[in-house]
Amino acid sequence: MIEGTTVIDFHGHTGRWDYYDMNDDATTMLHTMDAVGIDKSCLFHIFYPDSTPGNDITAQFIGRNPDRFIGFAYISPLVPENILPELERSINVLKLSAIKLYSPYTPYKLDHPIWDPIYQFAHDRELVVIAHTGNDLVGTAFPEQLGNAAPRFPNAIFVAGHAGNAEPCRSQAIAAAQRSPNFYLETCSTFRTPGVIEELVKKAGADRVLFGSDTPLMDPRSQIGKIITADISDEDKRLVLGENARRVLKL
Amino acid sequence: MASLNFKATVPVFDANVGVGHRYNQLAPFEDPAGLQEEMQRHGVERALIYHAMGENISCITGNEELLKWVDNNDAFTPQWIASSTADSIAQLQDLHADGRVQSVRLFNTEVMNVPFADWIFGDLLEWLSAENIPLWVSFADTPATELMDTLRRFADLTIVFVGSHYSHSLVVQPFLRHLPNAHMEVSRFENVDALQRLKQEFGSERFLYGSFYPRWAMGPALFYIHHIGLSEAELTAYCAGNLERILQGSGRHD
Repeated sequence: MIEGTTVIDFHGHTGRWDYYDMNDDATTMLHTMDAVGIDKSCLFHIFYPDSTPGNDITAQFIGRNPDRFIGFAYISPLVPENILPELERSINVLKLSAIKLYSPYTPYKLDHPIWDPIYQFAHDRELVVIAHTGNDLVGTAFPEQLGNAAPRFPNAIFVAGHAGNAEPCRSQAIAAAQRSPNFYLETCSTFRTPGVIEELVKKAGADRVLFGSDTPLMDPRSQIGKIITADISDEDKRLVLGENARRVLKL
Repeated sequence: MASLNFKATVPVFDANVGVGHRYNQLAPFEDPAGLQEEMQRHGVERALIYHAMGENISCITGNEELLKWVDNNDAFTPQWIASSTADSIAQLQDLHADGRVQSVRLFNTEVMNVPFADWIFGDLLEWLSAENIPLWVSFADTPATELMDTLRRFADLTIVFVGSHYSHSLVVQPFLRHLPNAHMEVSRFENVDALQRLKQEFGSERFLYGSFYPRWAMGPALFYIHHIGLSEAELTAYCAGNLERILQGSGRHD
């Protein structure tokens, strides 16, 4: 907690990515969260294309520290027949709270119809869908693609992970947020460009920006530092650090 | 206890700040006053500065431009960019004769397709070694294999490598182990808890705060190292003391 604000990290992972020194050791993750006042972190597992094993790992991880971690379901269209059953299982049985998409691990752009059953599910249940966005090599994760989907499913909350990361994708993400009231921007990024948080808040509105860190790929202390050291008001920082997340996750 | 606002609690000497416009990107500040305003916002008192023109276009012109930033300004210490050419080395030697060279920085070799090899850079590296002048190199802009293969032949040279990223996580520790005179600037290295593990293995003398501003924001890395459990003495070393020691020619650990 920071000055009365419950801080929620909206972007994190379960699992290991050893070649980047990523390891979901809960003790270390909690230590880094506690060092800067992060109350809860949202986590998902993106390394199983059939989704099910990763979601089980996430649910087990969350179950060991349910007060500190929130689980999101990872859903991939690489096994299309598994989309709806895994959504039902993840949300109804595993009690995961939102949906994570990672289109660079697929050949499908985020506005391809293959994603529509996921968006429809989120719309029907008023759930959050957070998708990786950025200028990836295969061109499937542009924010404007996610932005094309958002108006068609107005009861879902669409979150551009990394807020597009860098230009020109960042401007696409901002434009999508300006067009659609159900489109949000999440802040974690290794591209810590000067003024980026200020730009997101100014152009999209502080009520549409969500703090994220990418823990344990990146240390949440450096990523929350982007918010704390940004030239924005304390009121805006409170929204970005946790109040927006509490609202969209209905906590 | 974390707060909604942050300012450094110890004296800070930023080890990695670029000034001037890049050929393809305007700087967020026009003049020394603009840079100092950003520094003051985070509690940064001094900065080691190089001119962005030298990264990809011309070290000669960039260094000439840098003179306009450092004259009569105690907040800034110049860092001169070097190439392998005779003109570049002659410029550095002239500056050194005037007592103005405390460190040198390699230009961005990868984007310019120049291998960082001793048969190209040997004269420069021999001169720096002989004069005990530390060299800054960028992991973001020169391949790590070239850096290791070349720098291990110049064991007397003090090195500061900047801009390492989580994608370098398998490279950083071997680099520090094999190059005992190498130091790490921490602007972009943010693997979880990695800075603590590095300190446990290598001690607190081989790490220094730099922001890589304006490529990256000035505040986040400074905030980060204030929250990794360093003692006040260690934090002071990371934020200024280690850099001061290196610039005084006392950076060797072998």
